[in-house]
Amino acid sequence: MLAGIDYFIVIAYIVGMLLLGLYFKKFVNNSEDYFLGGKSLPFWAIGMSIVVSDIGALDFVGVSGQAYRYGISVGNFDWVGSVPAMLLAAFIFIPYFWRGGMYTIPEYLGRRYNQKVRTIASVTWILFFALDLGVLFWASAVLLNVLMGWPIWISILSTAGVVGLYTYFGGITAVIMTDVVQMVIMFIGGFALVFLSLYEVGGWDNLVEKVGTMGPEYRSHFDIIQPSDTTSPFPWTGILFGLTFVMANAYMIGNQAIVQRCLTAKNEWHAKASMIFGSALKMFIPILVLFPGLMAVVVHPGLEDGDQALPMMIKSILPPGLIGLMFAAFFAGLMSSVDSLLNSTATLFTKDIYEPFIKKGADDKHYLKVGQITTLVLLLIGVATSPISSDFPGIYVAIQTFMSYFQGPIFAILLLGIFWKRTTEWGGLSALVIGIGFAIYLNVFKEQFFTIEDPFLYISWWSFLLGFIINIVVSLLTKKHSEEQLKGLVFSSKILVKNKKL
Amino acid sequence: MFNFDWLSGVSQETAKMIFLGLYALIGFLVLLIPTEYVYEGIAKEDRYWWNNLKLWSIAVLTILGSIYYNF
Repeated sequence: MLAGIDYFIVIAYIVGMLLLGLYFKKFVNNSEDYFLGGKSLPFWAIGMSIVVSDIGALDFVGVSGQAYRYGISVGNFDWVGSVPAMLLAAFIFIPYFWRGGMYTIPEYLGRRYNQKVRTIASVTWILFFALDLGVLFWASAVLLNVLMGWPIWISILSTAGVVGLYTYFGGITAVIMTDVVQMVIMFIGGFALVFLSLYEVGGWDNLVEKVGTMGPEYRSHFDIIQPSDTTSPFPWTGILFGLTFVMANAYMIGNQAIVQRCLTAKNEWHAKASMIFGSALKMFIPILVLFPGLMAVVVHPGLEDGDQALPMMIKSILPPGLIGLMFAAFFAGLMSSVDSLLNSTATLFTKDIYEPFIKKGADDKHYLKVGQITTLVLLLIGVATSPISSDFPGIYVAIQTFMSYFQGPIFAILLLGIFWKRTTEWGGLSALVIGIGFAIYLNVFKEQFFTIEDPFLYISWWSFLLGFIINIVVSLLTKKHSEEQLKGLVFSSKILVKNKKL
Repeated sequence: MFNFDWLSGVSQETAKMIFLGLYALIGFLVLLIPTEYVYEGIAKEDRYWWNNLKLWSIAVLTILGSIYYNF
């Protein structure tokens, strides 16, 4: 249970975030301010925001649980699963999107392929974000329930209320600037838990020794590279082909919530630098979210549910005051993820669905209002769908499963779209539809095709490969686009040597 | 085929070298990017070595490589 000082810290944090977020309301005068922060933000704020948005309740609880079960190999997601993709995004993709003045990734796909591809991609992301919101809400509620005994629905509704208010009024500027504070608090709280836990287990060497003697299932807990025949979800082949080559790139380059932040940069250097700075910060994330799970193996052996590892460590290791700080850090992760999803989904819906299909040519204030209302509606959907998460044994794996359906095909059409002029609208459309269908098929019949516990990494790779091949074949069979249609949309070495023109 | 059975003979040490090789390759490609391009957006008189995004990238890749080398 929390002490008085813990309650004070948590409440002060929540109120502080609400006030800080609402402060940025005065900077929102039009839809560009709401969705792109008036293209005025610095790299350090964007970089911190990218990182903190990517780590939330999901990672604090889910990754600690995975580390408890499978060891350090889950850190691949933040190391090799982020850095190479973020560098590729920084130097190749982000400059195209930033120079093109785009609001959404599907907007690029619409210009490169056609409106159908744009709509499918946008609707898919909107559905994913809605499901993701529910997972985030549920993860927070589980932790609050374990730590404080709060009823699950009170936790969900209180989080939704605070985040919804500042996201509704302050737009992406409020989202990014609150993320900056949230990242600082998350790092302080997270590192406090790591250092005290390390002290509790008698230091790093002692931890390695104790875990190694706990049984055969723990012998590879400190191997970041797992053999290809492992039964864990992280064989090195899956990490290389599924994560490094497909999912990481799809996430960092094709994810609206990530890329939209870079589009708020004040100039191209800040846009590129934000990704690289974010990749540097990313390398600290496994220390915060993975190490407590590893140390829980020694402190709390034999837990039936790995997702209980982090809550148990917080309760048993941290003193009053630091529990409140850690709890605020957890809230920070949750709020930063939720506000990102809300704002990005509002952008996707307003720019890719509402503006082209429901009301074209309205004044800017109208679209600003639509974005704000969408934020509220999505919040309600997220709250209503949150109990779905309880049906999945691992929270983190659940969200990866949702993502694996369409990450591969979307990255296939993005990659070919920007690097191969011959790709046509029909190639992109068929690759997207068939690729997503194939991913769903593989997931439904995974017991027949795969030997590992949860093959989402393999599914993303094979659906990417099929989408890639189909895109090439269909493109070669259909009419190619004219040079005029492709202007500024396909990679050219000119971007490297003659910067002003694409 | 779906489970990459054809790579089951590759040891963990060899797999680790594949990852380290990948980081080295990415670093090499980053170094090939024209310096003018990585400074785009900063006025010529304000360009200093610490704004060079190639150096940032190499630093990040070096830390990443050391993590994989040690674990």
